[in-house]
Order: sequence, then structure tokens, then C-alpha cells
Amino acid sequence: MKPLRFPLALTPPLVRRLGLADIVILCLVGGVIAAVVAFAREFEAPFHEAVRIDLRPAALPRYTLYSLTRGVLALLVSYLFALSYGWAAAKSRTAERVLLPLLDILQSIPVLGFLPGLVLGLVALFPTRNVGLELAAIVMIFTAQAWNLAFSFYNSLKSLPEPLCDACKVAGWSPRRTLWQLEVPAAAQGLVWNGMLSMAGGWFFLMVNEAFRLGDHDYRLPGIGSYMSVALDQGNVPAMALAIVAMTVMIMAVDQVLWRPLVVWVEKFRLDETAGGAPPASSWVLAFLRRARLPRRLAVLLRTARRATRSFEGPLRAAGPVSVPGVALANPITRKMVAVVTGAAIVVAAGGGLWQLVRLLAPLGWEEWRDLAASGALTFARVMGAVALATAWALPAGVVIGRSPRLAQRLQPAIQVVASFPAPMLFPIVVFLFERIGVGLGWGAVGLMVLSGQWYVLFNVISAVAAIPEQFKDAATMFRLSPLARWRSLYLPAAFPGLVTGWVTAAGGAWNGSIVAEYIEAGGHLRITKGLGSLISDATAHANFPLLAGGIALMSLIVVGWNRVVWRSLMTWAQTRFGLGT
Amino acid sequence: MTGNAVLLEAEHVTQRFRLPNGQVLEALRDVSLTVREHEVVALVGPSGCGKSTLLRLLAGLAGPADGAVRYRGQPLDGVLGAAAMVFQSFALLPWLTVAQNVAMGLDARGVHSGAQRDAVARAINLVGLDGFEQAYPKELSGGMKQRVGFARALAVAPEILLMDEPFGSLDPLTAETLRSQVVDLWRDPATGVNTLVVVSHSVEEAVFLAGRIVVFGSNPGHVREELVNPLPYPRQERSPEFEAMVDRLHGILTATLLPEPAVAAPQRLVPFPRVHVSEVMGLLDHLLTQPGGKGAVFELAEDLGVDYDRMSAVVRGAEQLGWVTTPGEIVLLTPAGRELMAMDDAARKDATRVRLSRQPLFARLIAMLREEGAVDDEEVLADLTIYFPFIPADSLYQTIVEWGRYAELLDHKPDVGRLALLASSEGAPELRPE
Repeated sequence: MKPLRFPLALTPPLVRRLGLADIVILCLVGGVIAAVVAFAREFEAPFHEAVRIDLRPAALPRYTLYSLTRGVLALLVSYLFALSYGWAAAKSRTAERVLLPLLDILQSIPVLGFLPGLVLGLVALFPTRNVGLELAAIVMIFTAQAWNLAFSFYNSLKSLPEPLCDACKVAGWSPRRTLWQLEVPAAAQGLVWNGMLSMAGGWFFLMVNEAFRLGDHDYRLPGIGSYMSVALDQGNVPAMALAIVAMTVMIMAVDQVLWRPLVVWVEKFRLDETAGGAPPASSWVLAFLRRARLPRRLAVLLRTARRATRSFEGPLRAAGPVSVPGVALANPITRKMVAVVTGAAIVVAAGGGLWQLVRLLAPLGWEEWRDLAASGALTFARVMGAVALATAWALPAGVVIGRSPRLAQRLQPAIQVVASFPAPMLFPIVVFLFERIGVGLGWGAVGLMVLSGQWYVLFNVISAVAAIPEQFKDAATMFRLSPLARWRSLYLPAAFPGLVTGWVTAAGGAWNGSIVAEYIEAGGHLRITKGLGSLISDATAHANFPLLAGGIALMSLIVVGWNRVVWRSLMTWAQTRFGLGT
Repeated sequence: MTGNAVLLEAEHVTQRFRLPNGQVLEALRDVSLTVREHEVVALVGPSGCGKSTLLRLLAGLAGPADGAVRYRGQPLDGVLGAAAMVFQSFALLPWLTVAQNVAMGLDARGVHSGAQRDAVARAINLVGLDGFEQAYPKELSGGMKQRVGFARALAVAPEILLMDEPFGSLDPLTAETLRSQVVDLWRDPATGVNTLVVVSHSVEEAVFLAGRIVVFGSNPGHVREELVNPLPYPRQERSPEFEAMVDRLHGILTATLLPEPAVAAPQRLVPFPRVHVSEVMGLLDHLLTQPGGKGAVFELAEDLGVDYDRMSAVVRGAEQLGWVTTPGEIVLLTPAGRELMAMDDAARKDATRVRLSRQPLFARLIAMLREEGAVDDEEVLADLTIYFPFIPADSLYQTIVEWGRYAELLDHKPDVGRLALLASSEGAPELRPE
């Protein structure tokens, strides 16, 4: 039985050791936060009448389409970004040294905190129209989608077998042709699976992105997220239910029309030929497209057009040395100079960033810092609690699903759709339920954060357990291991590396979730519980920029530090101690 | 043949690589090689001797750290357009059909549309793949895949065909068929192929194909010897001349792989070959069954089904522990080796412990551990890197730990990354003289 193939993104994310580069990059990122905020403050945002959201069901399809368009546009931008960023990091060792740690930090800091600065800046750039707001929403979705795509492309470039690259070089392929005919196809599987995850991640902050308050301004874009938030404000339960249905329908439609066909199609681009049987996955859309005549005509047309324009390969003398264009700086002195100049530029930028950040944080008093620290500790405890709770149900469930290939195969699409649903849309409803049974937001927020991170644990445990070789299970049966012994000596150790990977991502999700989970506005009633997340939300709502910057900086520091120190050593230990690979 | 024009030459090339752990390995040191027109040159030697690295340098896929590679007198500063390459792992793009794979190199050589179709058809016909044009590589067997690899190389009508162990991943029967076809292709003027350079793992293969055989030594890679092979083509593998040539090459390789121990410096620190306990025991066991307890390295390799360079590493390991001697090409079981085979498991471990503690590298390690108690892995690795800069320290350390554990001499805790002497073995070597 061939092990189920789960998303490649579930391979352990690169968690790196804390180094000098990290500190430089943190300064840079801090500087960017400060610069954006400072830029935003320069412009007094013009009065902007909030778009009126029509709660009639007939308007919902239009809103859904708007949201979907934003998500797809952001995904396209993310793919472009991933290809260029991953390519640069993989091809140049100097670029790699900067880009890789930067990517690692970008993917672990709460991007939501950038929203206010971004919105103010972009709205100021386009004062008369909604373009600024739209752009801000798309950029925010992009920041939730892009990083893992870039990682995935970088990783597949790095793991390309050398003979394949050599074969393309010997054939005289230009870098451009190598990119489109070797590198992108080889990365296609990872790009599609990660695109699926990215799309889901992009929906997470849909409600906030489309409707949020900053100071006394109400920024709103027509979309399913703002529809939901207005419905919540008005306590309109049927509208809420409709929004949730529309969201589900949209996710399922995207899954069927976009992702399923892509997943089946990219099977063609697998580099390893280990698959014994044919891939069980099938897609009715792809089958339809393959049968249909129009796409084929179109393909022929495209091929003809491409042939007509093909001239990017300059003819190569049949004999004699062929210069292959490259980025190599032949002269060692030039190279050294470039390195020195780049290094100096980075140091200057980092210094400037640090200074900007310090200046922005200067107004914060002792009292506020103490408050920040206390809130940070509280939210940290909630995140850990959420991870523990998520593990409590997802570990056993994941083992049960993962050890039965049939069950895993049948449940996988369903789990994928459920996991794509943006948890924050459910938060207010869950909070209502909690209030019914007398759970306050202080504890309730932990439950909400479980909702934002649990799927990562489940996915990773399933894929780890599904990868257990059949012989191990046979051996367990032969030696008549009791069910308890089987869990203790086979399933749990085998699941452990996957579990740790799940924890890393789940904790990230919980931190992000805390921003909306500790500060919930529903039915015209605001619920706040103390924590770093609510502090950030509150600072946003009151346009308290120094506090906002402090909150984001603190959260980034905690997340990055914890990743580098705790998760990293746990991951290394799990891999060496319990990894199945020899 | 030496009168022909020089086509490709490597002049004093040196190549270095940085390992992930930061260690810099010298793959080639001061290697010079000349390839003339109408030649077939074979590069042979133990794995890790840099012969594939040299091939990549000749193809222009990489530049040397020192020295120069020239094509017809001009220094190479990019991929050599006059050459095509065949890879051990085939290196076919799985998402392209056979025909598309074969056409890979044609665009860049200015062969388009109709001419391209013709070139592809001709190359596919040359290797006998007609009818498979629209197949994908994954539908083909290994032999068929390598035919596609040859067709791709032949399609560009290369002057020089570079081959990196082209038959290495094929079953013996397929390899034999393809080998004779390669000779035919080379002799057929219609293919345009003028010169072959082949990296090979097999002595018979080198003798079958090449007019000149270059033997490499390792640590770092260097040219040991060049052998001219004047046998006329097509070569008969069973002919006495062929056998004589194979034996001669065997002799040279054995001298390369099993150098006579340096007489002057018995205490010189030599690296322990990276072989497993079970391999050495297996060799001794096999020798015991041989008449006189001896055999030639190449025969032993064939009998036991391992590469000759692996076999020679195992022999060197057994030799360092005094269980075999190697007069010339012959491996001979020593009395100590016979004794060892007669022992039970526990006694074998004791005997191994005594032998290991006399091996200079182990002796030094033991002395260090006695002095300092437990030592961190990093420290041992750093020492090994200093003593043996040409050997990846990680894998040498793994071997040391394996032997140390087997002999109940060393105690390694991977969780904390520390090495110590096993308590029971303290002083044991002195207490048990042989």
C-alpha cells in the first residue's frame, strides 16, 4: 500500500538557529514597521464614508465574488513573489544569507499589526477612491500567503538533482528556459500544495481585512468578510448563517474547480518515480477539460503562437566553448567590493531601522512596558494552552485517521475544506456559546485560539502516521502488541516529529488568532480580555501607534525567539530520535 | 594515435568543495589530462577519486579552482558546445516525452522545426527507439531510458561524447548490449561522434571501450598511471589478449588501492577505512573457505558481489588489524585471522579490542579519552579533520564508533554527543597481551 501523499508543506519548516543575521533582520523589520507607521501618521486620512453593506441574501453572491477576487489576485502576486524570491535565494549564495532568515522571520511575525499603517498610507495615496483600501486588503492577504510558497520554491530548487541541471546546461538552455522547463515543473507539486494552504491562510483575517476601525474611522470594503461583520454588529443571525454558508460554498467551489484539477495535473511533474500504482486522486473538472475540445484548440493556438515567437535561444556554435550567461562576477576584487558595499548598506539600513523603531517607541512609559510584558505573558500562556488542547484531540484523531489509509483517503478532502474555513468568522458564535455555559473570554480565548491552530496538528500527525512503513505494523501484529503497547511503542513515537512540526505552525496560528480572539465585537457589544492580542487590537482601534508598534515588536520577538530556541531544538531532537528515515 | 590533434586538455587542475560541515575537501589536485581526436579515454579509480569531477570540468559545467581546461587550445569559459553528456542517472525530464527529451539540446545549436524533427528521428533511430517517440520516461525500463540519454547526446552530433558511468545503473545484460552499441556508434562516421571520454567503475568495461585508460588515486584525486590499450576493435571479451589487459589493469589498480605499507614510519597515523565490522568478518569468513586462505582482490570482489574499491577498503581494514596480509594482488589470511574465525563471539570482541588499541588512530583516541574522560563529538571531529583533511570526518567518526562499540571499547551517547571509554575496557588492552 502506497503511503498517502500529504501536502509537501507539512515537511518540517526550516527553523533556524538564532544568529546575528536574525538580529539585523529584526532591526530591519522593526524599521519597516516604524517607517510605515510614521508614514501613515504624516497623512491625516480623509473622511471616508464607510461602504454600506447590503445584508439582503441577493447581495451575498456579489460580495462573495469580490472577496474571492481579492484572494485570487493576492495569490497570483504571491506566486510571482515566490518565484522571484525563491530563485534569488537559491541562485546567489550572498542573497541566500539574507533572504532565508528574513523569510523565516516574516513568516513567524503577526502581519495583522501592519494593517493600520498600510491602510492609512495607501488611503492617503488614493484619497478619492477605494483603491487604497482594496490594495491594502490585497497586500494583507498576500502577507498571509506568500512566505510558504517562497520557501517551497526555494527548497525544490535546492533539492534538484545535479545531473538534471547539468543536462540542461549541456543542452545550452538559457536560464529562462531552464526556469520554465526544469525548475518550475519540478517545483510544481510543492507550489500547488502550498498554494492550497496559502489560500486557506489568506482567508484567516478576511473579516478584519475588509472591515475594521482605526481611531474614529470606519474602513469597509464590500465583501463576505464585511458582510459577516455587519451581520454580527446588528445581531442578524440569519445573515450570519448565510455568510457562513456562502464562505463554505466558495471554499468548496475553489477546491473543486481550482485545486483538485491542479493537484491531479501536477502529478505529471513528479521527479521521483516511486509511485507503484496510479495516483488515486481524480478530478471531474480536469477530466472534463481533458475531454473538452475548446481547451485543446486553445492549446494548439498557444503552441503555434509560442513557436512563432520563439527566438530566446540564440544559436550556439556547434563547436567551441559556449559561454553560458550567468550572474558570476568573474573579478574577485569586484566581487569583494560588491559584498562590502552590500554589507555596509545592510548594516546602515538595520541601524536606521533600529533608530526609527526606538524613536517610535520612545513615548512609551515604564507603566506601558510593564503592561506589555504582563499581556505578553498572559497571551503566551493562552497560546501554550491552546497548543496543548489542540494536541489533546488532534493527536489521537490523527493517529486513528493516519493508520488507516482508506480512512485517510476518504477524510482528507473533507478535512481540507473544513481547515480552510477562516476560524475568526466563527469566533463570535463560539463566544455566544461560551457565554451560555458561563465561560468568560479570558478562558474562552484559549478555545478560540485552538480553533485557529488545531488543523496544523491534525494534518501533520496524519501525514507522519500515514508514512509508517507497513512492515512496522506487521511486526506489531506478529509480536501481538496490545493496543496500548502499539500506541506507546509505534504510533506515538512515529507521530512525534510530525506533532512537533504541527506545534510550530499551530502556535503561530494561535498567536495570530489571539489578535482577534481577545478582542471580539459582536451584537454591538465589545468583549475584551487582557492579553497581547487585545492590546494590539485596542491600540489599533484607538490609533495609539507607539503602543501598537510595541505590541507587534514584542509579539514578533516572543514568536521568533521561541521558534529559534525551543521549537528548533525540539524539532532536531524529534528528527534524530524518532525520525523514520535512517 | 598520439599524432592526432589535441581536442581537450586539462592542465594542472585542482578542484575543491566545501562540505556542509565547513570542511574543505580537495577533490582533485594537480591533474593533467590530454584528449586527442578519435580517442576513447576511460577514467577509472576508486569512488571519491574525482573522476566525475574531472568529467564535469571537461564539459565546462564547472570551473577549476586552479589550472585550466582548454578546447582546441582555447580556454573554456562556459559549457562546451562541442560536447554532449550521458549521465548515470539518465537525467531525463520526466514531464517531457522521449522526442522532447532528445530535442533538448537542439534549439541552442540553431536546429529548429523541420531540421529538428529530422535530427530527433535520426538519433532515435540510431539507438533503436523507433516507436517510443511519444512515450514518457517513466514508462520505459532502465536500458530504454539510457538509450534516450544516448539519443539526446547523439542528436546534437557532438564531437566529444562525455559519459559518466553510463552503464552504472543498468543490469549486466543491458549494459553489455549498450556497451557494444556505443563502440559501434563511435566507429560509425555517420554519428559525427569523434571522441569518447568515459568514467567507469568496471575494469572490463574500460578495457572493452578505451584506447587509453587513466587510473586515478584518491585523497585527493590525482592521476596514478596511464595505460594504452592497443587491442583492435571490435574487442572479444573472452580472448586471451583481452584477459591479459584486464589482469594488467587489475594489477595497477591493486597497487593504487592497496599500496605497500610504508616501512619507515610504522607509527604514522593512518585513517581507518570506512568499512563495517560485518564486512571485515565476512571477508575473513570467505577467505577461510578459499584454498590456502587466500584470493585476489578482484576475484574476491566478484565472489562477494561488491565493487572492487569497496573490497579493497575492506581488505585494508582487515590488514590494519593484522588479520590479512596483501602480498601483491593476493589477500592472505594471517594466523591471527584464522584464530579469530575460530573464536566465539565474546572472544572475537576481546581480540578485536586488542587489535584496535594497537591501530595508531584508535590508540591515540584511547589515550585522549583516558586523559580527559569523556570528550565531545565536536572535539573528536575537529581532530579528525586536522589529521585527515581529505576524508569527511563525520563518516570516519561513524566507523570509529561502530568498531569501538563492537569491541566494547568505546561508549558513545548520541543524545548528548559525547564519546568515552567503556568502563569495562579500561586497561583491558594491557592486561590481555596476545
